[in-house]
Amino acid sequence: MRIQAKNIEHYYGIEHVLRGVDISIEAGSFTAIIGESGSGKTTLLSILSTLLNPTSGEVTFDEKAISELGNIDVFRRHNIGFVFQFHYLISYLTLRENIALSALDEDSVESLMESLGIGRLAARYSDEVSGGERQRAAIARALVNRPAVVFADEPTGNLDTKNALGVYELFKHFSQEGTGFVVASHDKKIADYADTIIEMEDGKIVKILKR
Amino acid sequence: MITPIKALRKNRFKTALIFMSMSVSIAAIFLISAISGGVVSMYSAMLKTDGDIIVTQKGIADTFFSDINRSMVDNIAQIEGVREAGALILGAAPVEPLPIVGIYGVSENRFKSYTLTQGSTPKNGEVILGSKIYETLKHPKTIILSKQKFVVSGVFKSRIGFEDGGVVMNLHDGGVLFHKSASIFLVSLDDLAKSDRVVKKINTLNPDIEAKTTDSFIDSYNQFKIIKTSSDVIGAMAFLMGILGIVSMMSMVVNDRKTEFGIMRSIGLSSWVIIKKLLAETLIIALVAFSFALALSLGVLELIEHADKFQGYINGEITVSLVVNVFVVSVVMAMLGTLLPAIYAARIDPMTLIQRGGA
Ligand SMILES: Nc1ncnc2c1ncn2[C@@H]1O[C@H](COP(=O)(O)OP(=O)(O)OP(=O)(O)O)[C@@H](O)[C@H]1O
Ligand SMILES: [Mg+2]
Repeated sequence: MRIQAKNIEHYYGIEHVLRGVDISIEAGSFTAIIGESGSGKTTLLSILSTLLNPTSGEVTFDEKAISELGNIDVFRRHNIGFVFQFHYLISYLTLRENIALSALDEDSVESLMESLGIGRLAARYSDEVSGGERQRAAIARALVNRPAVVFADEPTGNLDTKNALGVYELFKHFSQEGTGFVVASHDKKIADYADTIIEMEDGKIVKILKR
Repeated sequence: MITPIKALRKNRFKTALIFMSMSVSIAAIFLISAISGGVVSMYSAMLKTDGDIIVTQKGIADTFFSDINRSMVDNIAQIEGVREAGALILGAAPVEPLPIVGIYGVSENRFKSYTLTQGSTPKNGEVILGSKIYETLKHPKTIILSKQKFVVSGVFKSRIGFEDGGVVMNLHDGGVLFHKSASIFLVSLDDLAKSDRVVKKINTLNPDIEAKTTDSFIDSYNQFKIIKTSSDVIGAMAFLMGILGIVSMMSMVVNDRKTEFGIMRSIGLSSWVIIKKLLAETLIIALVAFSFALALSLGVLELIEHADKFQGYINGEITVSLVVNVFVVSVVMAMLGTLLPAIYAARIDPMTLIQRGGA
């Protein structure tokens, strides 16, 4: 799948936070959006992931506008995954139940957990595992339906360096298996893993680096 | 089924509050319906076993105000198809220390409906006491009614709760005490199929009296209608209170769990899934609360039935159909109370998760 944003402008009230952003994201790519605080990374991510409507401009998925995607819940469930800075696991469910919550095919949950190194923690609750393990469970939840693209906003914001690098490693691994990743981050180290680095400044894309 | 129980356990305190508010409303509905139903059915049972046709003063709203000439009972007894006709005076008076006691003056041929456990039927100046009031008054030898002294000649037992709390005397003494000839006649028939014909006959005897089959009398009896209507109104208010309790508690629950519902939305679960989850949770509480309220109501009714203070006047009856009705009401209450908060939950914008970032 190819996600394209064309000439995106966004205002919060009178505050102009995105100024004419054009971007194209391919399935199976690993795109990092970096930039200073307030530069508009989260806003752009929200717009690309269909959670936020831009003031003007258009987002398309394989040339289809959001309004042409049909039921947006169903579309999201099949095609889009989210990883937030905070894990947001549901505390009364085990890790396995959290991951299975939106699974279209529950049988894939076990092997997915295995491949993320949390297989043995399936029956634990989120407050019974480490921060890195929680975030890996959140990543598993995002991946469970093999979406075309996973959006992650500061996914390593609450993690130490070792765990953060582990998360980038996972993203790289799964992007090579075909899932696209779009990750907003302050962390410059992500540049070592991503294949496209988009730098934002003041609501504009100032640099696109591909490798 | 497991997931909603986990969610309820996680939010234990609020679950308990919802449970209590539902239990109280459901028990209130049970009790008010059972007690009013009990009073009506007890009185109906009394009337039905005692006669197939009931004769009162024409146009009177309450048998207590009815006043008819007792001599007519003999004419009625002559009508073809009538097995027996008896006259009754219904009254009430205080009997120290009880503020109000049912007093029945009955014709000779009606004494057989009171099974004596001791003593003999009352002659002039005598009364027999229902077993309950006999106990409450601690086995008196005499009682005072309107400043007149009556000798207790016997004690009776009746299947009907509030008769056991009453005083029975002969028709003559009842007439003197309440200044009337008779309140009602109770007529039993050889053959129920003839009831309409007999009713017509009685009604032609005298323009001041009115005969009805016991069934149609009960259906049209004002006191019963008043009891039923007030119990329905109180029941409806308990139902509304229950809904309001659920709405307010569930709104708090939804507010506490905003993040959870935001996540569900972001991973593509539909609004309907979230609404169903919340409905399932309250439904489980409703089932438990219903069972608890049923047990509680049965317990309370048992207590009331055996409380001396009520002399058997209050006698709740929880019938199968009441249980079924209240069950349906409980489920509807849970659904209606949850719907609005659930719809609100289903509309939570997952954007709030992103904007909060950390948490
Ligand atoms: N809901 C909002 N209402 C008003 N202004 C907002 C809102 N969200 C963001 N902004 C403003 O929009 C601008 C861009 O915010 P955004 O969150 O996209 O930046 P960011 O690059 O993600 O920053 P950070 O690295 O701190 O997360 C900021 O100036 C911010 O104050
Ligand atoms: Mg941000």
